Amino acid sequence: MTELNVIGKSVIRPDAHDKVTGGKKYPVNYTLPGMLHMKMLRSPYPHAKIISIDTSAAEKLAGVRAVITPDDVPQQYFTPVYFVPHLAKSMPHDFVLMSDTVRWAGQPVAAVAASSEDIAEQALELIDVEYEELPTVFDPEEAMKDGAPQLHESAPNNIAKAPSFTFGDLDTGFEDADHIFEGVYETQRVHTCYMEPRVCVADSDTQGNITIHSSMQHTFGLREKLAYALDIPESKVNVVKPTYIGGGFGGKLDIGFIEGLSSLLSLKTGKPVRAEHSRGEDFIATTRNPVKVYLKTGVKKDGTYTARYIKSVLDAGAHATHGAEVIMVHGLYGTFFPWKCANQTWDGFTVYTNNMIGGGYRGYGAPQGCFAVESQNDEICETLGVDPIEFRLKNTHREGDPHPVLQGHTLSSYKIEECLRQGAERIGFDKRQAAGSDEGVKKKGIGFACHPLWVSGCVGFPDIYEHSGATVKLNRDGTADVVSACVDLGSGQITMLSQVVAEELGLKIEDVKIVYADTDTAPFDAPTHASRATYSAGLATKAAAVETKKRLFKAAAAVMEANADDLILENGMVMVKGAPDSAVPMVDIIARAESPFIQVTDEGPQPTTIAEKGTIIGTSSMAPPTNPSPVGAQFIELEVDTETGEVEILRVVHSTDVGQVIHPNSAEGQVEGGFQQGLGYALMENLQFDQETGACLSADFLDYKIPTAMEMPSKIESIFIDSNEPSGPYGAKSMSEMCLIVPAAAIANAVYNAIGVRITDLPITPEKVLRALGKL
Amino acid sequence: MKQIIELDINDEVHELAVEPYDSLLRTLRDRAGLQGTKKGCDSGGCGCCTVLVDGKAMYSCMTMVMSVQDKKITTVEGLPEGGELDPLQQAFIDAGAVQCGYCTCGIMMASKQLLNENPNPSEAEIRKGISGNLCRCTGYQKIVEAIQLAAAATKNG
Repeated sequence: MTELNVIGKSVIRPDAHDKVTGGKKYPVNYTLPGMLHMKMLRSPYPHAKIISIDTSAAEKLAGVRAVITPDDVPQQYFTPVYFVPHLAKSMPHDFVLMSDTVRWAGQPVAAVAASSEDIAEQALELIDVEYEELPTVFDPEEAMKDGAPQLHESAPNNIAKAPSFTFGDLDTGFEDADHIFEGVYETQRVHTCYMEPRVCVADSDTQGNITIHSSMQHTFGLREKLAYALDIPESKVNVVKPTYIGGGFGGKLDIGFIEGLSSLLSLKTGKPVRAEHSRGEDFIATTRNPVKVYLKTGVKKDGTYTARYIKSVLDAGAHATHGAEVIMVHGLYGTFFPWKCANQTWDGFTVYTNNMIGGGYRGYGAPQGCFAVESQNDEICETLGVDPIEFRLKNTHREGDPHPVLQGHTLSSYKIEECLRQGAERIGFDKRQAAGSDEGVKKKGIGFACHPLWVSGCVGFPDIYEHSGATVKLNRDGTADVVSACVDLGSGQITMLSQVVAEELGLKIEDVKIVYADTDTAPFDAPTHASRATYSAGLATKAAAVETKKRLFKAAAAVMEANADDLILENGMVMVKGAPDSAVPMVDIIARAESPFIQVTDEGPQPTTIAEKGTIIGTSSMAPPTNPSPVGAQFIELEVDTETGEVEILRVVHSTDVGQVIHPNSAEGQVEGGFQQGLGYALMENLQFDQETGACLSADFLDYKIPTAMEMPSKIESIFIDSNEPSGPYGAKSMSEMCLIVPAAAIANAVYNAIGVRITDLPITPEKVLRALGKL
Repeated sequence: MKQIIELDINDEVHELAVEPYDSLLRTLRDRAGLQGTKKGCDSGGCGCCTVLVDGKAMYSCMTMVMSVQDKKITTVEGLPEGGELDPLQQAFIDAGAVQCGYCTCGIMMASKQLLNENPNPSEAEIRKGISGNLCRCTGYQKIVEAIQLAAAATKNG
């Protein structure tokens, strides 16, 4: 392999300077002259029919320009999930921008555009809505029972989707087992807690075209969903890619109410309309779906799996949206295929309730699955007395095995054994004490979890977009401009794409600029989600840079009177391979290509040829060839205070195979930030609702606590296994979700090791710990 | 009714039309056009809006503008001196402490007070000093390292 100059180096992130000096380029900062402000009126009832809405008083308030109610909104039913087509067959089409049936507390029932936010707020209070309340159901298993209140006519027993996979024969498998383990593992509703609120500015022109800026994760997804929701052609919507956004983590992966309603209000008023969620609105906009996992596993005495039955009940809330896809990913990649077991059945249920609707969240069904499976794996090892590392290795796939989900593909880079062994060694796993044997008031424990199958994008999933594109243009000063619709969520896509182009074209990182892009001008790109950007957008951007280089060589061949196939590019010089004397600066070639026909040089005017003319530019649009699996394991050392029930994390070791690391500092940042979210999921975070009114009880950061710097351990140790993915850009796979899939299970297993009692529902709060210890 | 007030922001006097109930955050962003200070929650929960008021880190969303008319406000736009980035800004870049960056300005302002008052903070003091600020991207580790770097740079420089 040739030596890498930029890939694998922690170069200065190109976006860092702007961000430390105020960060101008967030959607939240975008404004237009004459802009109006939108606010939404939300239903206080979780299930109701709207009898009437009187907006007359609101419309009379000075400064109010327009009010819209369900009657003004196209009744277009679709799925708002960005990464699938709006009418994807695999998804229920149960979502509409505004309906006269309310199915969750907080559903928008009217929207106001006014000259100021304050006036828009005041106007909401003047809208009179008459509701007829309907019976409610908040528990998905209750909702599945006959006679439960029905949310959607199309879904008997409130079952939005019930996928199932099976292979082998369960009965035979359980008969072959020496031991059978059964457990129920429950996870809670949590929020991604992106820091920048969902915000947008929609601007219409006199011909009904809409230009929209929004804080979201998918430029083209917003175009498609917005056009469908408004019932206008896609070509009438232009979505401007945000230069960056203040976090997403999956929480900005579907069209929100604000984009659709502000666009309608802009069309109605002829003015730009801005809408911004309050933090309370953000908390009820998106969530990781709670999943209850019933898990029954048969094993031989030595720990080999013989059979497994899994049933997963997912609370979708009022609309299926992501819940219809999270269940699939949870089933395929979260529980069923990561482990080798000859006889398996999985039954999944996505169930409607009168809770808030779900969303994407980093890991997308796998954190729920990993918590269940790895908690039970720990229990199996404990009961059978088998070595937990060897147990995992006995039941996982190995490098070179066929890909368990994608027929005809192989696990070409798959260093699960190295992850487990190196992580175990670093934490000192062999010194782990027996569960509950620490006699102190503060009991130490060590635990781990691994996840042996994940994704670098969505190749192999039905109905999910998975292609990317880019345009790379060389400028006369030797710099490159890159047009890509791939959104940087903060996880470093700008840096990664810049490194790929710099590496391919032999440039310095500061000479590559990721420039303006919108859906009118950029090639399609799937969202920044599913750990896909480095692998998929990276590959496509590399391909564009390769095209650019070809174009450069074509012009150089004419200038240098050489064969383009013989040329190479090194340190900004184009030369015939093996003939350094032939070197011509790249900038000279570009200047010749961009110059008028007669070039003035020191020797006077010189003729140039048609062959060398034209901008040095390359473009690409492609799907990646496969879906390589990152793998990872996380080891935790912690201390449980048996008097207060509090858990303190002492050490974290995260070992992972992500292929070639593109930017070590950013990769560590993904591990460290992923652990913050994982720690919150494991111990603290729980979006809570009043079980009678459906009202959110923790809709701000005072009630919904996420880890601060004080709760975090002093150091999170990252181990990146030496690995190279042959299909990836410079050997890279993707990585970011693994960092959040494993922590909760690892922490739960370490808590068990500390106190000798297993807690099977998240979060593991002090109350639950004290109850487990018999102290409450 | 809006009122005209004078506000000392980053050593410059701004004449601004504000509502008497405006927060300092709204005044900075919407009235003075200083968008470096971010709104994350508008309820004193996240720290994205942290600024210095007479050198003390305050949540500008929880500070009424009328209460700070005679005080010196410092925002991220006021951190650089003589065209040079503040050591904290440079350290946040160098340490890789910036991901989405939305919390960054608030955390730097909290850190500014910390380093002004305690030029050699321990790791525990740094963690406590920024515990009023939430970050969802970084896990804080590289932020702590950045503040340590800035402390060292200030001492040496």
